[in-house]
Amino acid sequence: MMHQNFEKELLEVRNNRDVSYFDLLSIDDLTIADIQLLMDLAQKFKETKTTKLNLCRGRSQINAFFENSTRTQSSFDLSGKHLSIDTNNVGSASSVKKGESFIDTAQTLDAYNVAIIIVRAAQSGVPEQIARHVSASIINAGDGWHEHPSQALLDAMTMLEHCGQKDLSGKKITIVGDIKHSRVFGSLVRILKKLNAAEIRVACPETFFPRHGENFGITKYYKVEEALKDTDFVYALRVQEERGAKSVIPTLREYSRTFGITEARMKLAHKDAILMHPGPVIRDVDVHSALVSRHKQSHILNQVENGMAIRKAILWCAAQRFDGKVKPFEII
Amino acid sequence: MKTTCIKNGRVIDPANNRNEILDIFIEDGKIKKIDKNITDKADEVLDATGYIVTPGLIDLQVHFREPGREDRETIETGSKAAIAGGITSVVTMPNTNPVADNQAVINHILKRAKELNLINVFPTGAITVGQKGERIAEMWEMVQCGAVAITEDGFDVQDEGVLLNAMKYAATHDILIMSHCECENLSQHCGMHEGWTSTQMGLAGSPGISEDLAVLKNIYLARESGCRLHLLHNSTQGAVEAIRDAKKRGMKKLTAEVSVQHFALTDEVALGYNTNAKMYPPIRSQKHVDVIIEAIKDDTIDCFTTDHAPHIEPDKICAFEHAAFGSVGVETSFAVANTYLAEAGHIPIEKVISKMTIEPARIIQIDKGTLTVGAEADIAVFDLTKKWTVNAQAGQSKGKNCIFDGYDLVGKAVHTMVKGDLKMKDEQIMV
Repeated sequence: MMHQNFEKELLEVRNNRDVSYFDLLSIDDLTIADIQLLMDLAQKFKETKTTKLNLCRGRSQINAFFENSTRTQSSFDLSGKHLSIDTNNVGSASSVKKGESFIDTAQTLDAYNVAIIIVRAAQSGVPEQIARHVSASIINAGDGWHEHPSQALLDAMTMLEHCGQKDLSGKKITIVGDIKHSRVFGSLVRILKKLNAAEIRVACPETFFPRHGENFGITKYYKVEEALKDTDFVYALRVQEERGAKSVIPTLREYSRTFGITEARMKLAHKDAILMHPGPVIRDVDVHSALVSRHKQSHILNQVENGMAIRKAILWCAAQRFDGKVKPFEII
Repeated sequence: MKTTCIKNGRVIDPANNRNEILDIFIEDGKIKKIDKNITDKADEVLDATGYIVTPGLIDLQVHFREPGREDRETIETGSKAAIAGGITSVVTMPNTNPVADNQAVINHILKRAKELNLINVFPTGAITVGQKGERIAEMWEMVQCGAVAITEDGFDVQDEGVLLNAMKYAATHDILIMSHCECENLSQHCGMHEGWTSTQMGLAGSPGISEDLAVLKNIYLARESGCRLHLLHNSTQGAVEAIRDAKKRGMKKLTAEVSVQHFALTDEVALGYNTNAKMYPPIRSQKHVDVIIEAIKDDTIDCFTTDHAPHIEPDKICAFEHAAFGSVGVETSFAVANTYLAEAGHIPIEKVISKMTIEPARIIQIDKGTLTVGAEADIAVFDLTKKWTVNAQAGQSKGKNCIFDGYDLVGKAVHTMVKGDLKMKDEQIMV
């Protein structure tokens, strides 16, 4: 039986290791050992593809997406199912809309004895606020402009796979786009620092740059061409019109002319550089259409595949602990 | 005629430049005598040995929510909370429901306060009808009824034409205007200071420039109109620099306050999405706090307030960006000022008391804030050395949303007297 072999191999890779956190709210919560464990497991999960594994039978997971999502929700849901977790979706049409506090909603869901609640919210901090009051492990699937840790983990996995290193020392990363309104950036910049990236460059108009953003340890560029020179990774972000980017750039057309990643601009990067994007891509705005899926330097679909693997690793570590530790929490 | 004698306390009365161990004899609600070793027989004798005796504190900015939001606070609960903090006079903000933009609301507040007979309540009226920033309210009428100032409270009148006319009209009748300074197009009611902390938390921030520009605008318009202007809860470097500059240029009708949380805390208190730290204006970064403390030292800042803002639990148990603004504060303001200014070595205790008694009294032109013989006996007695931990749930206020909850502070009110009546004795509210 293939699934039994995989389970055996996965248990060997896991080797009774546990993550140091109960809730995955921010990349700040992760130790280097945590990242290593998740990466090791994800590499193995990637081989299992869609195999139904018996690792988490009897556990439950609720996907509480208070804000709409396509790839993150489906990927967390499918990942849970592949691990034999019973999953359930709570959408934005839930009782929160009826006026219930999201903390009360979360405490109610928690009373079903679920192991994991995946939380996506339009407002920063909601997963962290919920985490204090429930026994389930809270996984932040994106909160406001703050963080999106599972995205950063899959991005790091994609980068490490590409360069064949344990960390990103010696590597230059160029992030292009709206970093002010981007939770993807919030987690990405934190994990790049943790993984010892040699240089993190950001290219964007000043209106996309957050106050004191340089404190993240990044260098700001107003000319995308300069930021791309000899870089090892090009990470393009979407212009987030729904999260406040309206009226801070004249038009998407002008943004595309000034900061969009084209084939000509991509050539400025290191010859082995790869192009990444968290999706959804707005073709010909953030990234020139020809670069999106078919170009050899584009790893955008590879990121999506790694997303499944990393989320299985996150879920397994949250659903099953070997150290017997129990999360402290306070009902209000 | 009831008589009380407060004995052996260190009497600190900045208005009379007094700081020595004295007895105070109170008769018929007034201060009859202040001297060493008063031997007159009194109905009640309070031993204040080891304590300081000061004029009852005056707070120029509180929200007692009545009428309209009695679930959050009432004049009764707010007054009891004030008493617990040694505060004997408050100025209430007009953002009630209905808005205090007419005589009826002013009369109602004064009538309730009189019935309760707890502390001195001085209402304010709104600058414009419904705080909508459009049509000037009947400010003369409201002042005739007893309003001590006219203010839009948490709004700054965004239309400069309306604001200038309101100031000119106020100047006509020598009415005090109090302004909350904010250019709304720059801040969008964020409740978080725009800085490194807001960036790390992924929250939209209110930049200091929003307040800086609005302070400048208010100062220029007040100078143009000749009205008396008091600037509420200043929090930025740019704001205090503009105020200092205007005062240096001889603008005598300009006064300014800071709310105690704005010199005691930095924006990092919001980390962890602490909704009690959501404030209006926001708690600023260390750089601004340092400048504010300098402005307190050189008297650019005239007085301290609380901006006491009680809320019910659901208004704070929610996402940070949805949470209500403000914190309760009247029960902790003296302790906060003592801890973060006097104990921290920034200014002497006399100056703390001055900015919480005689200075606010001068701004609203009331005959209070002193321990002068013949004055109404509004008196607070504090144990300056008492260390205590704030427990918001145990507070008198209906609002449990206290930013200082769990903080260790130094200094606590022991007795509070209003017009000769002991409203708190040995930390127990008497009513």
